[in-house]
Amino acid sequence: MKHEEEKPQILHATNHYLYYPDEEGVPSYLAYGFRPIFLLLAPYLVISMILWGFVWSGVLNIPFMDNILIWHVYEMLFGILTAGILAFLTTGLPELFPGFVPLIGKKLRNVVILWVLGRVSFWFIDVTGVYVAAFFNLAMLGYLIWFARPAVLDKLQRHASLGYTMVAIFIIEAWFFAAMAGLAQTDPMDILKLALGSHIILILLALRRVNMEAVNELMEDKGIDDVYVSRPPLTNLAVFTIGLFSIVEFLYPANSALGWLGLAAGASVLAITNDYILKDKFILNQPYVIYLSLIYVLIAAGYALMGWAILDNKIENVSHFRHFITSGGYGLAYLMVMIIIGWIHTGRHLTSNIYTHLMVGLIVIATLMRGLIPFFEQHAQTLYLLSSIIWAVPFIIYAKVFFGFLMAPRADGIKG
Amino acid sequence: MKFALKILKDFPSYLWSGWGAVASILLFIALWDVGNQVYGDLVLPSPLETFKTLVLMLHDDAVIAEIETTLYRASMGFGFSLILGSALGLLAGFFATASMMSRPIVTILVGMPPIAWIVLAMIWFGMGDETVIFTVIVASFPIIFVGALQGTRTLDGELKEMAESFNFPWHMRFFDVYFPHIFSYVFPAWVSGLGMAWKIVIMAELLATSNGIGASLAVARSQLDTPTALSIVVIMIASLMFIEYIILEPIKREVELWRD
Repeated sequence: MKHEEEKPQILHATNHYLYYPDEEGVPSYLAYGFRPIFLLLAPYLVISMILWGFVWSGVLNIPFMDNILIWHVYEMLFGILTAGILAFLTTGLPELFPGFVPLIGKKLRNVVILWVLGRVSFWFIDVTGVYVAAFFNLAMLGYLIWFARPAVLDKLQRHASLGYTMVAIFIIEAWFFAAMAGLAQTDPMDILKLALGSHIILILLALRRVNMEAVNELMEDKGIDDVYVSRPPLTNLAVFTIGLFSIVEFLYPANSALGWLGLAAGASVLAITNDYILKDKFILNQPYVIYLSLIYVLIAAGYALMGWAILDNKIENVSHFRHFITSGGYGLAYLMVMIIIGWIHTGRHLTSNIYTHLMVGLIVIATLMRGLIPFFEQHAQTLYLLSSIIWAVPFIIYAKVFFGFLMAPRADGIKG
Repeated sequence: MKFALKILKDFPSYLWSGWGAVASILLFIALWDVGNQVYGDLVLPSPLETFKTLVLMLHDDAVIAEIETTLYRASMGFGFSLILGSALGLLAGFFATASMMSRPIVTILVGMPPIAWIVLAMIWFGMGDETVIFTVIVASFPIIFVGALQGTRTLDGELKEMAESFNFPWHMRFFDVYFPHIFSYVFPAWVSGLGMAWKIVIMAELLATSNGIGASLAVARSQLDTPTALSIVVIMIASLMFIEYIILEPIKREVELWRD
């Protein structure tokens, strides 16, 4: 009974709303950073993913790009990442640094427009050229770094790693555009692989914070009396091995040492899931713990399989297995952040239901279909198409479940 | 019984906590691979080649026979040290004079390099099982002896008094008061003694016998067969790590909790 009475309590994650700016007439969808982004990101992911699926299975042709594969990878990495960072930072920073004024209203709208311009300039790159796309996309990331400066300037340096990683990503993105514009001689695909490593590092660093909030919120909600601590050393080990793997892959893509590094990266990412094993309570049966740990499992599987492919001298399979990291871990990380923020920061309790199970399950299925293509070569075309469609479905479900929340004021009446 | 169940219950999470260690071992193997690329196959065979040789070796009956010989010697030597070391150590711990007297002797035993023991043992016993077993005993006995001695020396006098004033029957007094405390000291000493025994047995075999994996290592050295030499090293390390970290460490952790 006691548990029931505690339900209407103010959520843990509301302290920072005390510093909400008093701008007048802010529509609900601009009331907090994540709202417009998720409203745009879900349909964008659905449409672009299905389009890419048609392209890869040969159903559709896009004549307006001369280097489809490279641009596909670019957009799936940087286009989506900037949206993800924007949502994460605008929601997370006010929480990590009390007193930080949230980005809302007109200012938020302008930033979102900048992101949209980046997408438009990307899809019309053959018309507008590389420089325009480079300008808008780099401006977006540059703005985000500027926005995150308190994290880097913080005396205690608690979250500075996020800032430094973003600066590294900015440099890599600039390098990529330079290569595409012919200013640098590096193979753009190599730069993108390096970029993926840096993105995964950023995701691991961000996920550590998301995990702490989500899992503790969940345990408080369910009356589980224990504390979840995501220990930095485990994440740091994973960051180190992934960083090493990415750099060595960039320099010596087929070296056998890289194979061992891939296996090491896989093991170190899997090691992070040890945090979920608490001292007193068992939480591995909680749906959100399972969802979140699946992100690590998929990323780990990706690195380990890539390592195995290299040691087995089957380099051609590496890019298939990489989809465990991209479609799998990366995609699921975005989905989880969208779901968790979608519940908690619209003033609701972190809830799991048939929809959340379905969303996570479909991502995992789509990843397995895409990543295991080397074992089912004869069905490759079907698997390309089906996996991209199945991957897109969770974001359709997301729109159905969460768009109502994102368009309406917070359920608990707090501003934001 | 409850104790065994708790170890079994914690075992999966213990095993899962090893991923970090696996990662750092794999990083080390990557470094080994780099070493192979820099110095060539003769100096340092690649890890992959070593593991392939290893698999071949483990399917070879002759190699299995060598491993069995070594296992026999190590377990004989370790078994003697375990029984002798624990018994004498526990006994010495009960008497202040005996423990005072035995310490310098243990210091001498520990301080004497095993290689010197091997030379002496070769003179005394010739080239055979006895030399190896003797060397293993002198190397691991002091470790176990000191552990057992500390176990009885550090027994809490107040606990003893309490047990007496409650008039515990002797079996309760032993199993619930003395045993857990003593065991929490003796068991870790066994673990380190075993590690020592396993290392010494190879060294003694390499110098003093014509069979066992230590001797195979000597043969591999004389034939410049680095893949085989490394495979033997991998067998040694892997078996020790398996026994120590998969079997004994979970028990040791549980046992050490009893100290406080």
